[in-house]
Amino acid sequence: MPSRRQTYPKFAVVGHPNKGKSSIVSALALDDTVKISDVPGTTTKQRSFPLSVDGKILYELLDTPGFQRARQVLAWLEKHDVSADKRHEVVQAFINTHKDDAKFNDEIELLTPIMEGAGIIYVVDGSKPYGEEYEAEMEILRWTGQPSMALINHIDESDYSQEWKRALGQYFKMVRTFNPMATDVSQHISILESMAQLKEEWIAPVKQSIKLFEAYHEQMLRQSAEAIAKLVSESLSDVETLTLGDAEAQDVDKKALKEKYKEKLRFLENKTQKQIEKIWNHAHMEKEQALLTFDGIDLFSEEAASVFGLTRKELLITGATSGAVAGAGVDLLLLGHTLFIGGAIGAVVGGVGAYLGFNELSEVKVLGQKLGKRYLQIGPMENRNFPYILLGRAIFHAYHIATRSHALRDVEELSMDNIFKDKWLNEDLRKSLEKYHKMFRSGDEVNVEYMEGYRDLIAGVLEKLIV
Amino acid sequence: MKFKTYLDLYQLLEVDNSTKAQRRAFGLSHVLLKNKPLEQLMAWVKENKQKLKTPLLSDIFTSYLYGISFTLIIVGFVVGFFSGVTLLNYNGHAPVNVIYFMAMVIVLPLLTMTLTLFSMIKAHQSRSVLIHLSPSYWMEKIVALLPRKIQENLENLKLNPLLANWIVIKRSQSIALFFSLGLLVSLLLMVATKDIAFAWSTTLHISPEAFHSFLNTLAFPWRSWFPSAVPSLELIEQSQYFRLGDGLSEKMISHASKLGEWWKFLAFATLFYAIILRFFMLLLATLGWQIAVKKSLFSLEGVSMLLRDMNEPIISTHAQEEELTDTTSKEGVLQTINTLDASYDVAQGWAMSEEQLHVLNDAMGVITPLVYDVGGTNSLEEDAEIIHKSHGEVLLYVKAWEPPTMDYLEVLVKQVDRVIIVPVGTEEQGYKADEKMIQIWIKKLAQIESNKVWLKKRSSGKKAAKETDHAES
Repeated sequence: MPSRRQTYPKFAVVGHPNKGKSSIVSALALDDTVKISDVPGTTTKQRSFPLSVDGKILYELLDTPGFQRARQVLAWLEKHDVSADKRHEVVQAFINTHKDDAKFNDEIELLTPIMEGAGIIYVVDGSKPYGEEYEAEMEILRWTGQPSMALINHIDESDYSQEWKRALGQYFKMVRTFNPMATDVSQHISILESMAQLKEEWIAPVKQSIKLFEAYHEQMLRQSAEAIAKLVSESLSDVETLTLGDAEAQDVDKKALKEKYKEKLRFLENKTQKQIEKIWNHAHMEKEQALLTFDGIDLFSEEAASVFGLTRKELLITGATSGAVAGAGVDLLLLGHTLFIGGAIGAVVGGVGAYLGFNELSEVKVLGQKLGKRYLQIGPMENRNFPYILLGRAIFHAYHIATRSHALRDVEELSMDNIFKDKWLNEDLRKSLEKYHKMFRSGDEVNVEYMEGYRDLIAGVLEKLIV
Repeated sequence: MKFKTYLDLYQLLEVDNSTKAQRRAFGLSHVLLKNKPLEQLMAWVKENKQKLKTPLLSDIFTSYLYGISFTLIIVGFVVGFFSGVTLLNYNGHAPVNVIYFMAMVIVLPLLTMTLTLFSMIKAHQSRSVLIHLSPSYWMEKIVALLPRKIQENLENLKLNPLLANWIVIKRSQSIALFFSLGLLVSLLLMVATKDIAFAWSTTLHISPEAFHSFLNTLAFPWRSWFPSAVPSLELIEQSQYFRLGDGLSEKMISHASKLGEWWKFLAFATLFYAIILRFFMLLLATLGWQIAVKKSLFSLEGVSMLLRDMNEPIISTHAQEEELTDTTSKEGVLQTINTLDASYDVAQGWAMSEEQLHVLNDAMGVITPLVYDVGGTNSLEEDAEIIHKSHGEVLLYVKAWEPPTMDYLEVLVKQVDRVIIVPVGTEEQGYKADEKMIQIWIKKLAQIESNKVWLKKRSSGKKAAKETDHAES
């Protein structure tokens, strides 16, 4: 019998060269470091992708090289006339005999973990016709006697799934379709559930892994929301200064300070993007510089404002609502003796302020003596639209990263999406967000509970978009 | 929760380079502290404090804070004492107007305490006007007089507005308390060492009865226990003083022994309004300060991540080791043709039926006397026999989408003069192979580096154009 030393399930992803084994492993393991190449035979050594919690492995995926000489291996096996219950011993004997033979390196690499007890996930390309040359591989796998399932991957648009299913059904207990390039959480979990069914004793650990995987997803979502909340809070409260010395402030100084301020905010946005890519295990993602500025659309451009920001009308309503709430506070304090004029004045002031400050980021002020020196100051952010632009871009980026398959190796291009704002921002949410933006703009100390409230709002948006 | 712990954590987070795994290990080794973030942070600081260079920022800052506070308290006491002496200064000609002293020990404390309460409510604001009004805020400028090294250390410390405001609030209460103690001491000393004639005088039309009633109200905290410390109506009447005239009135002189009785009221008023109430304000400020320190601890940069790392399990799905990269990549050479010749010695099809091969020959405009189906379900012996029968130039049709496996080709090239590999597409594609797939074949076959292997690149062009492709392998 094969060795059964392991205490957790292992799954070897095997198949013909270039049928997307590495893509499937990459997508299931959420790992974008897996080498995926057009050139067959890129994977030459088996590579392990364990799902572990605090170092304890729950299951292990193994990426393996493709079959190179399947017919020669099968011919060797068939030379041994044994009953079905002894066939796995012949496979083991093949490994033992050829382990140092470079010619069979790929076969040894892929058969070894299977003979050590790994379940088989056989990958084929359902966008290409079935071919009889696959039968040697499938027959070898049958000789191993290990539980197995087949995954039909769709590399291209054509569909030959039905003929594949008919053929695979003769060799494998379970046949599933899975597109690693466009997978989502539910598909991922569905595949894990199928893997659990391969062997009775694997059901419990794989089910546990599914729960953990869901928790992991939740964790990534929350961390992304936290990073975005911090970005908005830091950006809105940021203050930049420029020491003038004894000289009078010139326009060039003001311009330099404004540029410094913008650079800082761009830096914060960039930093958060990287953080989110890391959270979702996309740190190795190949990307163009354009990504950082959204296809060349700068954070402070009019285009960014028109796509992600509020319209003047929306801004007017938001400003007026926010002002009215503040004014109403005064009315309540005076038990309504103001005839609710406070609310009305607040609404007008808030609305007009928001409307007039539509384009201006923040005023550059010359501030007085600080240890004998004069200095220019810009910030905190006064533009009421800016938080929505920043937040919109951050959510847009996070959404794309969170839903991007780890199997993709192409350049990520974030093109502007004019309808994206409508997907996440409604009037109620805008009102709730404005309360926090006002607080961030004030530059006052924002306590942890307050930040958590803002984070939860963003987490809710991400959850709605992603899940 | 000590402020020192806050500063240690602040400094530790700036220099800490512990990994997520190390933080999680800490969380797991202190499992009893789970769900107790404050205790967890304190334990973490305790365990990692030795990583910090001495002198610790917490020691520098707290000693600076203590030094400045102590100085200001002493100054406050001295100012209070001399203010009291000035207010109680009696030259024997005009009596001491108790209204001044009352303003100093009752009105001023009540006013400043009210402002303090507002500043406590608004302590989270970064630009609180009330805070800026406090003398202790402006006395902070003493920092400019400190040695340069200390100044540099303190420049790196960025206290959040909440903590900075509470430092000012708390310190202001201490200074005010000691100022009031100075007043009380001066009162007691002056009373003990001098015979002071107290009186009251005001431009306002206040009758002795009304004044008595007012004082009686002010004395509500102690009037039950110390009735003698509440001026009687008689004393008030006798000690009313008008500035007009020369010196003390006859009436006052006749009751000179009674005028000194005022001191008890003044002492109790100082004790209650300036000292006891201020002491409660100090307690309130200390409590607020404690809460602020605790709150600020959680809003420190990096704390939420530290707690998350400690408490959330490390879930890992990716490979534990880096994928090995073949650094010895070499440029392979592959010979290619664009158009096939009119005839070849043999046509073979990898996992294709003989009927398909005839169709393919027809489609390519090629004549071959022999066609063989190789690979697929053939046994190795059958393929070996076909290879044995093959000679000259062999046209090998392959499915373009099936990446080349080496087990047939490497034997075939040993037997024949030349192998022209023709990748073909599916029937639906009219047997035309995708350019992308042709490129895959070029890359892979280039690795063989055999001058007998050729690849047909594309179907266009009638003249056989022979060329050599270079491919990275």
